[in-house]
Amino acid sequence: MVEVGGVELQSPVMAASGTFGYGTDVPLCDRKALGGMVSKGIFLNARPGTPPPRIVETPSGMLNAIGLQGPGVEAVIRDYAPLWATWDFPVLVNINGESVDEYGELAARLDGVPGVAGLEVNISCPNVREGGLFFGNNPESAAAVTTAVRRRTSLPLWVKLTPAVSDISAIARACEEAGADALSAVNTFVGMSFDLGSGQPRLAFRTGGLSGPAIRPLALYLAYQVARAVSIPVVGIGGIARAEDAMEFLLAGCRAVQVGTATFVDPNAIGKIAAGISLPLVGKDPLAQSSDRPLASR
Amino acid sequence: MYDVEAPLAGRREVARGVWVLGFEAAPIAHSVRAGQFVNLLLRPGPLLRRPFSVYRVDHDVVEVVLKAVGEGTRMLLELRPGDRVSMLGPLGTGFELEREGGPVALVSGGLGVAPMPLAAREAQALGLTVHWVHGARTADELCREWEGDEAWWATDDGSLGVAGSVLQAVPVGVGQVLGCGPNRMLAALAERWPEAQVALETYMGCGTGVCLGCAVPRTSGVFDRACQEGPVYRSGSIRWRDLPTALHYAVSA
Repeated sequence: MVEVGGVELQSPVMAASGTFGYGTDVPLCDRKALGGMVSKGIFLNARPGTPPPRIVETPSGMLNAIGLQGPGVEAVIRDYAPLWATWDFPVLVNINGESVDEYGELAARLDGVPGVAGLEVNISCPNVREGGLFFGNNPESAAAVTTAVRRRTSLPLWVKLTPAVSDISAIARACEEAGADALSAVNTFVGMSFDLGSGQPRLAFRTGGLSGPAIRPLALYLAYQVARAVSIPVVGIGGIARAEDAMEFLLAGCRAVQVGTATFVDPNAIGKIAAGISLPLVGKDPLAQSSDRPLASR
Repeated sequence: MYDVEAPLAGRREVARGVWVLGFEAAPIAHSVRAGQFVNLLLRPGPLLRRPFSVYRVDHDVVEVVLKAVGEGTRMLLELRPGDRVSMLGPLGTGFELEREGGPVALVSGGLGVAPMPLAAREAQALGLTVHWVHGARTADELCREWEGDEAWWATDDGSLGVAGSVLQAVPVGVGQVLGCGPNRMLAALAERWPEAQVALETYMGCGTGVCLGCAVPRTSGVFDRACQEGPVYRSGSIRWRDLPTALHYAVSA
């Protein structure tokens, strides 16, 4: 068991938001190895998502612009939370708002719902025109969202950070001071790809979030900076596909990791990664372990 | 759903540049239904899997049909017998044939021939008459393998069968139409047979329902998943104008 910001994980390897649905559609995943999962990001109300094409493969990665398609919070509480309450691993709900108030509303609505182990506040989605990334790119708005959620719930509160900032440490500290219990670092990087035949962007939304092994070293360095900036636990995310990748994030100071795109390739990627992490590493205090390491050269 | 380390059992060229590859994958071979697909992973290879409708099944062998359109398909065509891929499947929801639905027309264009042999066998198992209707750009690009009771051909240049759209080659008196091919062809098919069942090709991420990348716009207003609710749909339930008319494949470095 690994404790992260008030959530007891079965292992240090979790499923990242948007890559595991609501936990009901991944039949080949070894659920005993799964540390926990974060739901697909939800809003207060249902959203249709963006038109296709929504995904493009890129070198060692993929761009996606799904647009947070989902049924809204009431349907999630009605249709999925009762199932989550019967599962052995914890489920956090990834929440998204178009305004600070909407984040607070969502937190209040999910507070005390059986099956909801915590909230991951998404201030970093690149694929919605409103909210998301807007809140994550300066310390004041990141803190405002965190405060609004903290006031309305006693659930464990994680904040998912965007890589698209010049000083991620400042954002991380602002979230910590506003009451976050843990930080998820990082969300996808905004990117794009053009089709030479049509001269148009390959994604209907034009831009998308880049994920997969292509972003791993970038994400690792950001997670490393976040882990050094705060005293709350950090959950590393970004292109993790093998146990060795996960162990790099643990060495960088993360207490756990989330696996995303690798699950698209291998439905049991998480099971294999969790099984391959060597135990002595997990037992140590990762923050202490990384504190004497030099910062990456610039 | 199974994840099988599947060795290449054999391959044959069925039209110019169009190949059928057979992989040994017993659990998938024994459970797949017409219109379902498999998702193939190559290592080393591009990051994501490549989805293919199942073409035919022969004992433990699952066949897929492809031509080189990008990096993944090019690498698949370089496999030698015994080389393994990871085959995930069977995936998606296939065709539903009705015993009382009347004669069946299997209408396909180009690589859209892929789901039709299994559909022919399922139709014949129900005692239905099967019209095999297939079109391609030219005679040498047209796959001549067919199953059923009668074959009808069409080519864009008239080098074999009806000159023009494969839709013109569909005989009168059919009761059930199943279609697969380019979106432009399927959109035209939908105008004539809104009750037809069509198997769609989309860009796809996971193939298992979690990434929401294979969005299909429905007339009900929602996007759903080609890999779960699809890839087979009633043709009249699709918002064809909101689907890409052609799929361009990126090359992965």
